[in-house]
Amino acid sequence: MVDNPSPQPMDHPSTEHPSTDRPAQRSKSDRTFDANLPPLLSAQDLCKSFGGVRAVDHASLEVPQGSIIGLIGPNGAGKTTLFNLLSNFTRPDSGDVMFNGTPIHPLPSHQIAQLGLVRTFQVARVLSRLSVLDNMLLATQNQTGEALLNVWTRSRQIAKEERLQRRHALEILDSVGLSHMAHQYAGSLSGGQRKLLEMARALMVNPKLILLDEPAAGVNPTLINQICTHIQQWNREGMTFLIIEHNMDVIMSLCDRVWVMAEGRNLATGTPTEIQTNPAVLAAYLGQ
Amino acid sequence: MVNGMEGYIVSLIIFTAILAVFGLGLNLQWGFTGLINFGHVAFMTLGAYTTALLSSIDIPWLPLPLQILGAVILGATLAAALGLLIGFSTLRLREDYLAIVTIGVSEIVRLIALNEEWLTRGSFGIQRYPLPLGQFSPNLPTRLGMIAILLLVIGIAYCRLWQWMGQQLQPISRSQLVTSLVPIVGYLVSLAVLIVGIGLGARSLKAAANLPSWVLGLGLLSAIVGTSLLYAWLAKRFLLPLAARTTALSLVWVSILSLLGGWLTTIAAIALYHYDRSPTKNGLMWIAVLLVALIYQALQALVRSPWGRILKAIREDEFVARALGKNVFWYKLQAFMLGGFIAGIAGALYAWQLTVVYPDNFQPLLTFNAWTIVVLGGAGNNLGTILGAAIFWAYQSVTRFILSDIIPLDDARLGAFRVMMIGLLLMVLMVWRPQGILGNKEELTLGR
Repeated sequence: MVDNPSPQPMDHPSTEHPSTDRPAQRSKSDRTFDANLPPLLSAQDLCKSFGGVRAVDHASLEVPQGSIIGLIGPNGAGKTTLFNLLSNFTRPDSGDVMFNGTPIHPLPSHQIAQLGLVRTFQVARVLSRLSVLDNMLLATQNQTGEALLNVWTRSRQIAKEERLQRRHALEILDSVGLSHMAHQYAGSLSGGQRKLLEMARALMVNPKLILLDEPAAGVNPTLINQICTHIQQWNREGMTFLIIEHNMDVIMSLCDRVWVMAEGRNLATGTPTEIQTNPAVLAAYLGQ
Repeated sequence: MVNGMEGYIVSLIIFTAILAVFGLGLNLQWGFTGLINFGHVAFMTLGAYTTALLSSIDIPWLPLPLQILGAVILGATLAAALGLLIGFSTLRLREDYLAIVTIGVSEIVRLIALNEEWLTRGSFGIQRYPLPLGQFSPNLPTRLGMIAILLLVIGIAYCRLWQWMGQQLQPISRSQLVTSLVPIVGYLVSLAVLIVGIGLGARSLKAAANLPSWVLGLGLLSAIVGTSLLYAWLAKRFLLPLAARTTALSLVWVSILSLLGGWLTTIAAIALYHYDRSPTKNGLMWIAVLLVALIYQALQALVRSPWGRILKAIREDEFVARALGKNVFWYKLQAFMLGGFIAGIAGALYAWQLTVVYPDNFQPLLTFNAWTIVVLGGAGNNLGTILGAAIFWAYQSVTRFILSDIIPLDDARLGAFRVMMIGLLLMVLMVWRPQGILGNKEELTLGR
């Protein structure tokens, strides 16, 4: 990967993988998902226009329970917009999103997060002037101390919950190697550490599905390996992921299935190997 | 002399307390949640008018103290309801809209107070409403009890201050402490001596020579500005590098403040002992100090709780808060309303201090005084806000006496000059200590 610094994924669509430098190959026996179950997340015919531009044009997507699904496509294909539509940070013009059997497209974004669908951002967003630990604790759901009056009337219970959550947060921080930074301002973290914190914070929500927007962008190869290992680890523990990524090594090593978008539309879907040899995908990437 | 001093200090404490409560409300909205509220005075107006009007209604079956208490709570609740109204219509929009709308609303509220004469009696003002503890004439044990409670509150405040200092101070060796203290003390003393010297010199010049007053004023102004600039340069060149290594500078500040606070507390205690000399003011001072302590305590519990953490998250990046399942709009609304509620309480205190409320008492300048206080003390720091209020009023009252001796201007111009100086001081503060007095410098250097 050091020898191949270009992020363009389809430079050499060969099926052979140089094995040492890239993220650890996912052993297929690890798969925890069952293709016969109804999908955890399914989006049907999502559309979004900004002025005259159809950013997302009848796009659909399915994420089975327990899987790692990749979402790729050239720049401007509408991947991030699709993420925004799924998490309702942007309201879709039309289309449905079902999550865990509930239609979530009419819900405000914070309720979607509460249901267990948590997103991260393309450029990692940490709360700079809060400590790393506070960033983590914020993500906890259903805290007694989140209600104004409880703060004054149920302080003992809040203190107890905080102790528990703090331990939990420190465990997660420890697993991503950030526990030594727990009491620093999150704003003092490096770019890669911010990505890790964002993922760790998403885990703190205790979600069913995490949407990762380019987890490996702007991150050095060693840390990419580390991030991939974490994602696989969490997936083995039952977490489902939907990942936007330009780094094809990451996609190939992690994903069970890949969806390809171009110009707002679904272009193809299949296993990573199928996608790599799909002529339509190659054409979209090479601009023909 | 002692009497006059006592009365003056008592009203100083009351004003500081009012501004502190007022500022604490703004600090919750802006310092912790990042909501830009340029119409904070509207909440105060509602609180003041409601308290004055409702407490002067004759309700025979209700004891007066309870009626006053009810009026205050209702006034603050109305202020919170105004917050709900403003918030509901603007909090979904970008934050600059909130700033514009709040400015407009505060003027509307003042103009309603001015024009709806059937209710507010317009510019004639509301007068002769009952004051809390107005008819109260405590015996010696009660007075001693009041003094004890006051001292207890102040004592707790001191503990908090020193505790905070202890968290801030790096462990430093004794020799370092001495070496950094010497230039700082020397610097402060010499600056004081110089300014007093300039003042005295001007006084004798005024007496001796028949200079036109504008020449004298201009000369004085340039002398003071020149000296301050020279000293500022000296401080930046020599003092700050030292102060950065140790926090002896803040140690000096806290010592000075503690001494000053101790002196004020003593006078307040003496005033309470002689309660009957001015029952309404002494009683109001006692209530105001307790209220500041109570509100401070309640707010500290809030901002350290998960609730406060959400507010700070919204201040930093509301998208993150949303992505993590927090109802951003609802929390903004809560912060805005609670800030309004607190400002409503400040309004009640203000009405009692004034004893007559006119619409003119609620000029937009009050809002900006609150902003000055919050910025001065350090945004997002409740202790800083209280300190800012104290410094602001100390400045206001000290300059009221000293400036008229130094600068030969009439009262109206002096008033304007003092406001101008506040602006200048704020600019100086923004250059050297942009985080405010108790703010954390590190926070400003962090990237997004």
